[in-house]
Amino acid sequence: MNKTLLLTRSNLRKNRGTSIGLFLLMVIATCLIGISLLIFMDCYPSVNREAVRLNGGDGYISITGDLDGFTDEKITELIKDDTDKHYTYHDLKLSNQPVKFGNGEVVISIDISDDAAFKRPMNRFEVITEDTSISENYVYLPYQFNTSGGFKTGDTFELTNSGRTYSYKVRGFLNVVYGGCNNTALFALVVDNDSYKKLWDDTHDEYENINIIYDLKDGVKNGKFRINAFNDMLKVNPGAVIEGYDIDGVISNRTFIGLIIAVSFLVATSLIIAAVAMMLANSISNYIKENMKTLGALKAIGYTGKDIKSSLVVWFFFIAVLASIIGIATAYLVMPVFASIIIGQMGVPYSVTFNLPATIIPVAFVVLFTLTVTVICANKVSKIQPIVALREGVESHNFRKNHVALDKTSLSLNMSLAMKTFFGNMKQNVITFIVLGFMIFCCVISLLLYENFSRKPKLDILATEICAGVVASDHESRDEVLDYLEKRSDVTNIREIINMNVYYNDEESLFCYIVKDLSKFKNTNLCYKGRLPSYDNEIAVSGSFAKAYGLNIGDEVKIDYGDNSFKYLITGFIQTTNNGGREAIFSYKAADHIMDIDSIPGWYWFDLTNVSDDVEKNIEEVNRIIEECEDKYDNHIISTMNFYKMIGGAMTTFQGISVMMLIVMCSISVVVIALILYLLIKSLVYHKRRDYGIYKALGYTSGSLMLQTAMSFMPSVIASAIVFSIVSYNVANPYISLFMRSFGLMKCDFAIPVPGVIAIGAGLTVVSFFLALMQTRRIRKIEAYNMLVAE
Amino acid sequence: MKNIIETKKLCKTFSNGGVQQHVLRNIDLEIYEGDFTIIMGASGAGKSTLLYSLSGMDKPTLGSVSFCGTEITKMNTDELAIFRRGNCGFVFQQVYLVESMSVLDNIMAAGLLVYKDKKVLSKKAGELLKAVNIDETLWNKFPTQISGGEAQRVGIARALINDPALVFADEPTGALNSHTGKAVLDTLTKFNEKGQSIIMVTHDITSARRGNRILHVKDGEIAGECNLGKYVTGDKDRHQKLSDFLATMGW
Repeated sequence: MNKTLLLTRSNLRKNRGTSIGLFLLMVIATCLIGISLLIFMDCYPSVNREAVRLNGGDGYISITGDLDGFTDEKITELIKDDTDKHYTYHDLKLSNQPVKFGNGEVVISIDISDDAAFKRPMNRFEVITEDTSISENYVYLPYQFNTSGGFKTGDTFELTNSGRTYSYKVRGFLNVVYGGCNNTALFALVVDNDSYKKLWDDTHDEYENINIIYDLKDGVKNGKFRINAFNDMLKVNPGAVIEGYDIDGVISNRTFIGLIIAVSFLVATSLIIAAVAMMLANSISNYIKENMKTLGALKAIGYTGKDIKSSLVVWFFFIAVLASIIGIATAYLVMPVFASIIIGQMGVPYSVTFNLPATIIPVAFVVLFTLTVTVICANKVSKIQPIVALREGVESHNFRKNHVALDKTSLSLNMSLAMKTFFGNMKQNVITFIVLGFMIFCCVISLLLYENFSRKPKLDILATEICAGVVASDHESRDEVLDYLEKRSDVTNIREIINMNVYYNDEESLFCYIVKDLSKFKNTNLCYKGRLPSYDNEIAVSGSFAKAYGLNIGDEVKIDYGDNSFKYLITGFIQTTNNGGREAIFSYKAADHIMDIDSIPGWYWFDLTNVSDDVEKNIEEVNRIIEECEDKYDNHIISTMNFYKMIGGAMTTFQGISVMMLIVMCSISVVVIALILYLLIKSLVYHKRRDYGIYKALGYTSGSLMLQTAMSFMPSVIASAIVFSIVSYNVANPYISLFMRSFGLMKCDFAIPVPGVIAIGAGLTVVSFFLALMQTRRIRKIEAYNMLVAE
Repeated sequence: MKNIIETKKLCKTFSNGGVQQHVLRNIDLEIYEGDFTIIMGASGAGKSTLLYSLSGMDKPTLGSVSFCGTEITKMNTDELAIFRRGNCGFVFQQVYLVESMSVLDNIMAAGLLVYKDKKVLSKKAGELLKAVNIDETLWNKFPTQISGGEAQRVGIARALINDPALVFADEPTGALNSHTGKAVLDTLTKFNEKGQSIIMVTHDITSARRGNRILHVKDGEIAGECNLGKYVTGDKDRHQKLSDFLATMGW
């Protein structure tokens, strides 16, 4: 064995505690980087991979309503110039269909096919799991019904249409490109051929749907293609209802909330990694200082500085390589737990696959970082003279001030000595302050996610405007229904809001909120810059849309609807995560320039006069109001929504992720704090072992010395808890906003519960104290006699 | 004469790599109040081990140590620490002041274990520092900023702050030159004259002359004992008497 390996082996044997502490920190760092990268490089891209594998094309167009004139030949003629290929098929599409999902229900369009869906050349459906013993009257549901919706095979799934209920047994779950996720406003499902035939016979007059899946030619923009295609199709038959999505929008909708949480995880993780990196550097530097005498002895017997440096580099390289390999393996091992929750939101089957960059980057980062720090610190060893090293380096005692003079202080003895230790270890205090602060920040971000996605869901992330319920009447009864609602004492703040797709410059589709009275709009955080429109020539557009087209407040935008166009003045930017961040809002008067506002149906968004803390009571109350409207106006009610009921369904997919985040982050924080305190206190006790021996000889008990040492960390812990609790509370939203802009959240205003922040700060302070007290147990092992005779 | 310490069949055995080394063998010993007891012996004879076993700093393997009537060999580490506070003062060869504390704080840190009134303690610490000839300008200096002799005298002041029944001194002049060593011995002698009981380990005859009772340790046993009487400056017979005793001990 050569001398470098000999020294390395000796280092490993002699410094087992430090080696294990550093090893665990490196494992955590590699694991966290690995998980973050796997989420972004492997998990989320799986939505795109599956879309390609199932041949989802570049987008789809759906035609419902009056289908006269839409022959296959006609469709081909309309789109052939812009597409390389397309595939057209007919099925059924039920719009605004309430279906049970998770803890509530979602109101969503349902696309129903027979088993031909499994054999299509484009937009093929694929079975993920099934129970083949169910052979009749069955349905295959999108996979998200299984991962988040609470359904399993053998359950009953019901559809209701025109007073008739269609009941099916769930046979299995599907992997589908379009209609696989509640965020895409569409669920696609397959029923057995007999059931499909019956449903077709009952409903196809009203709900037949033509789907066109297309692949665009190179250079053709999806938005512009769809606008042109929609206009051309409306010319074929103005009674048709044309809808469509491009594949990027669908993928974005399937992943955005999960991405928000994943980004938050990455933000928190990056802080943990920074803390770990700082601790690594400190520990390596401390190790070299602590072993200066041994290193001096080695130099004295003829080892060169290069030999010693090499042994240190080999030692830390060995630990870093081993730790990073175990760390990345751990990341792969725990990834299915993260993935199972993330895919719940995406509704795409995913199993962890080997991803080279996500594997190499964390390992390389940890190994290179460790090597760099080791080489820098080891340079000191090369330069130091043997005799100086034997005297444990150049100990320059530079006590400028006698902090906490014992004859003057009013503090207790233990506290006084703890304060002396505190003032004598500023480097340790700075590290404790920063590391604990980062951990508090991580926990506050997790708390924010838990609060806004689980405990009190922040619904304006999912919907631009929130209400208790919506009743929509046809044009014929709109005034009567409004009058009826306004006279009800249990209903308040009725807003007339209708959603329409309009177009910008023949290029981009904008999902538009057309509001009769914008002063009644409840979501005051919607407009993050400028103001909402007041006059009939004004519009507010989403920030991400404005950014994409270089638009500013005060600019004019040409908005098209059908053959009509009007130039509006942008008064403000709104933030939205829906519809790919392409939304706009303007008034009825403004909309009148491009559409006949008097001929549209009446969509009435209302709140409850008496809101109960019990969500179930609110659900019942809204249901009662809706039922009474339906009883009174029968078929004139074209759509209803119970928001309280939808909350449960819509938020189900995110609750698991946010709860897991809170648990994981708090656990990791405690582990990191424990490891860092272990390394700091180990080093502190080593440096102060002589003092502890003296104290013990004088009559100090181990308990009082442990208490003093643990207490010496508390000023920096408490200062960190106070400072970072305040900083985290104020900075968390702007900090997350930096990462969320690409998702359309330009100015986050997530609620951060103050008691929660205080609990985190106080909790981590108490935990830190007890962890520090536990770590100081090694003081018990110091015996005054042994220390004195050893000197 | 009242004894402070009484040992019965005190044994200390070290085990190293399976080899047992009997450092102290069945020592029966009494240390008396007011005495300046000297433990002498060759290197490795077991004198320091005996000193620390008597003080409760080290635990004997067998036998008992009774300190002011209290059996201390059965005490656990913390009980011994608490016991040492008021009963034992230590002066070490390497001084062992806490380097991050000022001279005054080093004494206060020991005194506060016993005294609760900081004003009273502070005054007493000042008097002790003056008594060991540490100028007031040095009280707020750190140990690395004063000389070795000054540091050792601070160590003596620290050992005396709690009015211990016995001061244990382990070669207090071993690391000092003859001039500063003499000053330290003068200080110890001065306190012994005032009634302070002291037990000191040394292998230096000049230092040993300060004691009134000399114990010679050889191969872990008390090989012989000599009574010199109280120290008087310029007593030439004292030196001869000690030399004769040591000669009989094969010194």
